[in-house]
Amino acid sequence: MHKQIFVNLPVKDLARAKEFWSSLGYSFDSKFSGEKSACIIMGESILVMLLVEDLFASFAHKPVCDAHERVEVLHALSCDNREHVDTLIAKARAAGATIPDEAEDHGFMYAQGFYDLDGHGWNCCAWVAEAESK
Amino acid sequence: MHKQIFVNLSVKDLPRSKEFWSSLGYRFEAKFTNDQGACLVLGENLFVMLLVEEFFAGFTNKPISDAHERTEVLNCLSCDSREHVDSLVAKAKAAGATTPKEPIDHGFMYAHGFHDIDGHVWELVHMVAEGECQ
Repeated sequence: MHKQIFVNLPVKDLARAKEFWSSLGYSFDSKFSGEKSACIIMGESILVMLLVEDLFASFAHKPVCDAHERVEVLHALSCDNREHVDTLIAKARAAGATIPDEAEDHGFMYAQGFYDLDGHGWNCCAWVAEAESK
Repeated sequence: MHKQIFVNLSVKDLPRSKEFWSSLGYRFEAKFTNDQGACLVLGENLFVMLLVEEFFAGFTNKPISDAHERTEVLNCLSCDSREHVDSLVAKAKAAGATTPKEPIDHGFMYAHGFHDIDGHVWELVHMVAEGECQ
């Protein structure tokens, strides 16, 4: 079992990406942030490393996927409630994200997603507690 | 802040992928596992959803990237010790993963990794606590 995950993603413009994620309310861990990288704190054990493309490529051993064109991964993040989902989506939209779909309400789960400035896909999901959804 | 992350990745052959990750010692959450997807438990709040391509495609309006050809994400997992890193890489290799890089020892951090059978890249790091590496 693992304590932490560091999700490493390539970004075209680090300063712009940092501004995007800051405007969604996230903070950065300065210990893992520098000229070519920034570490977003998404949760106690969830960290996202934004890496400029040449640094990312040096770790990848394969060409970097343009996430506007194709998708390898979709990250889903648990949210506290529907308002948490709605707030993040509203902030993401205002900051330039693409919102491909309407929010989905499955009763037990409320979810909506966005593509960030680099095309990486994120889904925000709030699970309704079992008793609550009845 | 988010409590849980679900990393959604597409796989070509779900039973084969389940066998791969099982042989590394991981278990699956039955509640989120069926013939279209399997929920791999990586940590207390860290999950990977292995989804068959057709199901994965339903969550995005973009074509699926072939992870053998290009990389959008490098998922990096913290490990308890160097032995933990080495043992996972050895099991992954025996189960069909490729390991294009040698392990790296930075003193404060020991890292190795593998590309799984669908080409998704996994990095494993053990960070030495301050004081320990002196």
